[in-house]
Amino acid sequence: MPVEGSTRGDRVDPTLAAVLRSGLVTQALDTRWFDPSRLNILIGVLLFTAFLIVNIFRARANADIYVRPIAGLKALDEAIGRATEMGRSVLYVPGLSDMSEVGTFAAITILYRLAQRVAEMGCDIDVPCYDPVVMTVLDGAVREAYSKVGKPDAFRPGCVHYVSAQQMAYVAAVNGFMLRELPAANIYMGSFYAESLRLAETGATTGAIQIAGTDKVTQLPFFVCACDYTLLGEELFAASAYLGREPVQLATIIAQDWAKAAAAAAVVTALALSALGNPALMKWLGAA
Amino acid sequence: MTWVRRLLAIDRRIIFLLVATGVVLPLLHPLNLPVTVTPRVKAAFEAIDALPPGSKVLISMDYEPDIMAELMPMSIAVMRHCFRKHLQVIAMTLYPAGTGLGERAITVAAKAEGAVKNRDYAWLGYKSGNQVVMIGIGENLRGMYPVDFYGTPLDSIPVTRGVNSYRQMAMVVNLSGSSVTDYWIQFAQGRFHAPLVVGCTAVMATDYYPYLSSRQILGLIGGMKGAAEYEALIDTVGDARRGMDAQSLVHLIVVALVIVGNGALFLSRRSGDAGAPAAGSMTR
Amino acid sequence: MRRGPLLVTFLTGAAVAALYFIPHHTAQAVNSKLLEWTLVVYAFALILGSMSLWNNHARKVKNRAEGWGYSIVTLSSLVVITILGVWKGVGEGTPVGAIYDTVNSPLASTMFSLLAFVIASAAFRAFRARSVEATLLLITAIVMLVGRVSIGPIISPHLPGITEWLLDVPNLAAKRAIALGVGLGAVSTALKIILGIEQSYLGRS
Repeated sequence: MPVEGSTRGDRVDPTLAAVLRSGLVTQALDTRWFDPSRLNILIGVLLFTAFLIVNIFRARANADIYVRPIAGLKALDEAIGRATEMGRSVLYVPGLSDMSEVGTFAAITILYRLAQRVAEMGCDIDVPCYDPVVMTVLDGAVREAYSKVGKPDAFRPGCVHYVSAQQMAYVAAVNGFMLRELPAANIYMGSFYAESLRLAETGATTGAIQIAGTDKVTQLPFFVCACDYTLLGEELFAASAYLGREPVQLATIIAQDWAKAAAAAAVVTALALSALGNPALMKWLGAA
Repeated sequence: MTWVRRLLAIDRRIIFLLVATGVVLPLLHPLNLPVTVTPRVKAAFEAIDALPPGSKVLISMDYEPDIMAELMPMSIAVMRHCFRKHLQVIAMTLYPAGTGLGERAITVAAKAEGAVKNRDYAWLGYKSGNQVVMIGIGENLRGMYPVDFYGTPLDSIPVTRGVNSYRQMAMVVNLSGSSVTDYWIQFAQGRFHAPLVVGCTAVMATDYYPYLSSRQILGLIGGMKGAAEYEALIDTVGDARRGMDAQSLVHLIVVALVIVGNGALFLSRRSGDAGAPAAGSMTR
Repeated sequence: MRRGPLLVTFLTGAAVAALYFIPHHTAQAVNSKLLEWTLVVYAFALILGSMSLWNNHARKVKNRAEGWGYSIVTLSSLVVITILGVWKGVGEGTPVGAIYDTVNSPLASTMFSLLAFVIASAAFRAFRARSVEATLLLITAIVMLVGRVSIGPIISPHLPGITEWLLDVPNLAAKRAIALGVGLGAVSTALKIILGIEQSYLGRS
């Protein structure tokens, strides 16, 4: 193995490197307060934060912000209305991940807003949970949602419930619920893995309207094939802002677009410079 | 044309029966179809093949019974390759249910190649914590695993004597069907710069193509096909190569069903029959 | 009182984000410790989860809801395995380990194997040439289905190369584009939560 320092590209005193290689002394010797190879990421995060702050101020000054229609999110109202008319419940599956995944946070924010609409329309919602920590957070969010629309008594204790932290056991339980209770609408939002097609295909057999959104790119094709509407990638993260229509929230979507444009510009510039014989920017972008 | 409508809405159970037949028949009567090796699996093979005898290889088998069909043959093939090259294997798992599977895989591979416990391999067993374990191995292996799975101190095992971090390991091989691979790339390769080969399920394989392009991983074994290719490279016939016969036939059955369905759709349109079952959003 | 959770979220989120850039051994020790604490939080939440599971199924048994017999099986399993686990341990060679190997593992494998059947029925339903995009999906799916298995090179020696190109070029391009969007969306959501712009996880707008 090559002689290495604490980070790729650093010049390291050979004696120190030899000592580190021996394994007798641990990585704990690192006394740097900043990793220079991650400067590109830090600049990116700071830039994004700046975009966020600028757009929040813009939103506060001018609340009229346009966001393109997203079919899957518009269909949520249709799904809840259908459930109310048919006297059946809405099944909301918040994904099979824990609170360390940002997709789970997206699922929580969407459920909070969705639960308000469910409470207003007077139909029932069922939220089977994979992770117990997520369950406690979702339970609180749904309760608050019902209270917010003035119907705290309409909240059914146990509508948010823990099922299993085992993937296939969870799928079996949710599939069983779908086939027994025949919910009118199945909504899948969050991080999904191999069980996505099992859930969506079983839901399709019951005739429910199905809306899905996941940040796991590998599962998108399955949802696209088996569901009526699918939120692709970042649309999941834009959903809570889209549903709430609060200017400050919508401003974050604009900030995302600005960041995407900046990233695209950086990549194109780096490619062009590299083609002209100067790969420095490309190396710096890929340094971390 | 009612028969066209029936074709458009074939009972699922008939489809399931056809698939079941396609799976069972080749397992009972092997077709022995040839396996074409792809560059990614070849890269994984060559990365391990290039290691000198006596090199230490850390193999983390992070999977549970539900995906063992894809990953167990991969584990066995990789370990058999290591044993043939006289590489010393340090095996572990980050999944509690992976303990039995990992032990079984290493036992099968060792028996096939005549490898001896403690001399040729060490089985460390399960440790919880994912990222904490990966960082811990990088800083102090004995802090994470003071003893192996059977209670033997690591200093008493020839394979692990003198090994206390990734620096003493020539290669890390992660075989997983979950996002734990991302942590191996982030910590073992990104932070500690350990050479890394990845094995994963077929559906996840394309997620790691960018890492292969950027040489953050040295090779990629994807799914049962990848496992079958690795078996072909080490000239063995294992569960993966046998399973590929079944997978090939089932794929053909699915293609035939899709063609039948589209043929029926075409005929129904020609006859002006509007009845057709709804499908996913792409087909609306 | 209302600001307490927001302050904790901000301080913890900002600290963990900062630790990503600080390789100092003390800072990384703090990072490792925080990761260990999440395991402790999970353990406590598991108690709440078990109580939720118990209440849900006990209610079904009490009300004789449809399938209440299965709820009795669930509740009995919960009690028996908890007692066995506490009494005899949960490792290899214990009763819980044996139950896991002989019941849980085969059931999980069986459920996973049902994916093959589900994919076939989903493909039959979804891959219909109803539009230009759907036709493109259909053709690509057929090429991939045939080209990615052993039978592909027998049908045509070009198929493996075509499937590799499809995976390497258009698939990877689209995946990277979606992944970029997902990454930015994730950063945006994380920043919103850390900065307190998004409070729905606390049950507030």
